Amino acid sequence: MSDENAFLVLADFLIPAHGKMPKFSDVCGYADVEKSLDFRIDLKSGFARGIAVGPATGAEARLESLNKEDGEAFSAITTIAIATYYMSPRVRELIGYPGQENVPYDSKATQIYLTNGSLGQVVARGRKYRPTPGL
Amino acid sequence: MTVEVLADRGARARRDEEVDVVIVGAGPSGSVAALHLARAGISVVVLEQGEWPDYADYTGARPEHELVSTKLWHPNPNVRDNPNDYPVDTSTTDINPLMFAGVGGSATLYGAQWMHFLPSDFRVRSMDGVAEDWPFTYEDLLPYQLEIEREVGVSGLAGDPAYPPRGAYPFPALPMGSVGQRGALGMEKMGWHWWPGSNAIPSEKFGELNPCVRRGTCLTGCPEGAKSTTDRSHWPLALKAGARLVTRARVKEIETNEQGLATGVVYVDANGRDRRQRAKVVILCANGVGTPRLLLMSGGSRTPDGLANSSGLVGKRLMMHPFASVLASYQDPLDSWRGPFGQQVYSLEFYETDESRGFVRGSKWNCMPSGGPVGVSGATGSKVYVAESGRFQDFWGANLHENVARRFGHSLIWGIVGEDLPEESNQVVLSKDLVDSDGLPAPQIIYKVNENSNRLLKFNIDRCLESVRAAGAIETLVSTPVRESGWHLIGTTVMGDDPKRSVVDQWGACHDVPNLYVMDASTFPTSGATNPTATIMAVALRNTRRMIAERRNQKVA
Repeated sequence: MSDENAFLVLADFLIPAHGKMPKFSDVCGYADVEKSLDFRIDLKSGFARGIAVGPATGAEARLESLNKEDGEAFSAITTIAIATYYMSPRVRELIGYPGQENVPYDSKATQIYLTNGSLGQVVARGRKYRPTPGL
Repeated sequence: MTVEVLADRGARARRDEEVDVVIVGAGPSGSVAALHLARAGISVVVLEQGEWPDYADYTGARPEHELVSTKLWHPNPNVRDNPNDYPVDTSTTDINPLMFAGVGGSATLYGAQWMHFLPSDFRVRSMDGVAEDWPFTYEDLLPYQLEIEREVGVSGLAGDPAYPPRGAYPFPALPMGSVGQRGALGMEKMGWHWWPGSNAIPSEKFGELNPCVRRGTCLTGCPEGAKSTTDRSHWPLALKAGARLVTRARVKEIETNEQGLATGVVYVDANGRDRRQRAKVVILCANGVGTPRLLLMSGGSRTPDGLANSSGLVGKRLMMHPFASVLASYQDPLDSWRGPFGQQVYSLEFYETDESRGFVRGSKWNCMPSGGPVGVSGATGSKVYVAESGRFQDFWGANLHENVARRFGHSLIWGIVGEDLPEESNQVVLSKDLVDSDGLPAPQIIYKVNENSNRLLKFNIDRCLESVRAAGAIETLVSTPVRESGWHLIGTTVMGDDPKRSVVDQWGACHDVPNLYVMDASTFPTSGATNPTATIMAVALRNTRRMIAERRNQKVA
């Protein structure tokens, strides 16, 4: 089994199709995976170990084994899978995530807590601190 | 002229030049001291083991942010694995210390939550019969707090009844997003205290700082240059005033003469060569781990237990604020990836001692957005929320999609900071086998969360769950104590009047070495329960002003 297939089998087990959400390999190719690994070269050795032995016994058993015996490899496989998936523009569109966006605002706009009475109730409950005169 | 050009101009002192003051560390306290000393005409060299930040390296605005930041901008130096940091032996601690080496210091990765200590924080012994009182009061420090706020560019709303009356903040409070409004709703349902967040993030253009655009990535470096860190708030001014800053300069020893007075420091430069910086006064601003580490590495045969350590308290009484978090998900959309991240709302409802609760002292809560889909999945990264079963399947497959659908964009996090009481058994020592990239001994942390903290966290988590459920939470996840939470490093060179029971006096001068100062949170006798940067910078300003005023009386070698 190629590296590409070995990883995609594991990734599709971790991130299957569910409801409106596609499975990993429907929205991410191996080129996307390699791009993610280039961002995290520290994960490359663990990733390589994770896919070195194809999931002949099935993806779940393979992942179970990695989780118990090689936490670094398990972490590399799962980190690359989930980060690559949620970088996909299609996935972001489906979950309504524009990324960490720039949200302009008017710094002088009156905040709602000043007009709806909610902060006034905090003030009305009175002093909270303990004064320390003479101590 | 740019900051970089100024920074490169003759930073290192001439060979054998003696300067008035050498400062170790260019973080919040070191930057304050450097600026004000330079403005007073005092010659200053600052040695910083890290580098200037490159804002292009902050990934907050890019798609790969969640993938990259969990390594490159992780607050734990052992995870980040950057040679500019030193590693920390964490095999004997319940909480990992978090820090960052660079111009701006660990604030590079802080949430910018800007809180003063409260009056009772300075009188813990008098009011609650535990720990020690500070040598000065809330009222003594307040003028410096307000002055520092103007230098930093803090945004907030005055009038909080949890504090004595104070002046206005320099900038209006940042907008409270849906996350903050939902957090406040829960507190209001319970009839508990809450207040719009105060943050070291100007809501309008201020000097080198840009207005916040609610990117929400404060904890991993602000790509907008909006979060106030001293590389932007203080260093441009300090360099213009004549302060000199040497980066990639790791101090390995404070030198003293036969009279026991400091004569300067030895540091390893960027090329791995030992260099000496002579100075009349040495100021340590290397945080609650780095400062005692350096003192323990210094002193030689004259003081084999470390410099300035006749009390035996250097490195002891480490406080790190045991921390719990509660993630709450709601049916309604909260746009919970949007910032500001630090605190949209805070609460001091349970700050003061109430002995009926079964513990002394209290907590501060801050309400934050929960971030992007990878983080809220709980499947990877910091593993803040782990399944009790330990089965990886709980986070993957259909569960992944359902967890993300329920939490992403629909959740908030209450962070609960508990006051940490000082105990001599919680300490920083030198590792016997771990070393940094220059071969210097790494610090080892010996730290246990004590019973008072355990009770405090349990009480506060229970109350927090009541609050979020009152506001309609459909899911809650609790983590306590969070191992990766030692942002606040406090208490390891305690200040006091008695040289037998303290390391420095109220002005930061070491009892044993009167021209050696500590100006970071190492000197705090108690930890309070608020984020300490505001107090760190205010105390540094108070100490610096005193040093300037008393310069003619300063004992030097």
